[in-house]
Amino acid sequence: MQPISRTNRVNRLAMLARVAFGVCVLSAVFLASTAGANTAVWEPSASEKLVKLPATYLKKAVDRDFAKSELATALTDVKSQIGLKTQTLQDLQSAIDRAEGEVRTELRHQFLAEKQEFIKLMGEQQELQRKQVETKIRLYERLLDKLGRSKAATSPQRAELIKQQNEARQRFEATVTAVDMKLFDSTELTESKYSRDYAKNMSAIESLVLAIQEHPMNQEAELDGQEVTKEDYLRHLIADNQARVAILDQEETILGYMAKLVALDAMALSEEVAGDNLAADGLAGEDGEISLSSTVDFFITQ
Amino acid sequence: MRSKTTLTLATAAAILAAAGAAQAGTLENLERERALTIQTLLSPSLTVSERQQKIAASKHRLVDLERMVLRDKSLVGANRPVVRKAFRSYDLTFLVHASVEKDRILIDHWLEQVGVSTHNLMNARVGRR
Repeated sequence: MQPISRTNRVNRLAMLARVAFGVCVLSAVFLASTAGANTAVWEPSASEKLVKLPATYLKKAVDRDFAKSELATALTDVKSQIGLKTQTLQDLQSAIDRAEGEVRTELRHQFLAEKQEFIKLMGEQQELQRKQVETKIRLYERLLDKLGRSKAATSPQRAELIKQQNEARQRFEATVTAVDMKLFDSTELTESKYSRDYAKNMSAIESLVLAIQEHPMNQEAELDGQEVTKEDYLRHLIADNQARVAILDQEETILGYMAKLVALDAMALSEEVAGDNLAADGLAGEDGEISLSSTVDFFITQ
Repeated sequence: MRSKTTLTLATAAAILAAAGAAQAGTLENLERERALTIQTLLSPSLTVSERQQKIAASKHRLVDLERMVLRDKSLVGANRPVVRKAFRSYDLTFLVHASVEKDRILIDHWLEQVGVSTHNLMNARVGRR
């Protein structure tokens, strides 16, 4: 058995100290990742203009507003960092497979540190996505409230008046041709300038109304091929975003488990470097993708 | 004395300006024309031909005014007493349209709507209350 040289012993001790420090730091990875609160905000307002927009255009308008916000910039930034970090993890994982001895230990340590960074970034991304989704839910709920309020603002007396006015208009429309025939056929009355001009403008208005009705931006929103009202569409958007919140909750759990695995890996590496051969060896990673569930392999292999 | 005259003139100008600013809507115009038509229908001082002539002119204006009211979007849901009253009784408000629709002459239609019919009059008896 070869005695360990003084230089080697110092190197090993230094490595051990670094790994031990890593264990302490990594144990707080998850908390640190969520505590690093991002100050980027998105503050959309449920304006009257937004309430009056056609349902199909409403979502696009909200998405466009988000795209211009600080929150969207921060999210894009974090996503690109995650992309780069994923690439680094893949490179390190394949390098570990090829390396041996101290280089391998050093690479494993670096891999752990990169995983820590990755978890931190994923935590930031989740936090930003949660902010986005929760803001969207609040916005859609406010829009739904406003829509309800504007409809409920009709008092019974006013509703009765509107009903009578509709009935009057229907009665008038139903009989106007017959009345005109009787009125203007006699020599007593001739068609007035108002009637002539009105009829002329009416045909122009009718063609414009038809064009508006057929305009793609004026189409009612559709869900599963069925046309739905604006309220139904807003409720659908709220439900969609709530589902996203539930998925984010689940992803948070995954992130927590990943952090725990990194801490355990760090402990195993520390033991290994100290001479206890307890940690399991051999990394067999697959190509990781940017989505959280597809990066689980970085954490469940050692 | 001079300042008093100036003040009176200024007040008169202000009143005239205010009167000019207040613009009658389609319904108010219809109501005015309708009131004048009914006045003409009931006026005992007019001869038959005078009445006929006046009614013909009024009818012409009423036809247009009634349609303007029915097509006036500013009146939709305008919860004012005058609007409520107007739409509560189509036959009285849109007098010309309703009378032609029912094939009745204007005065007959109006009298029927206010509850005076030939049958009612024939059945009426002079008596002491």
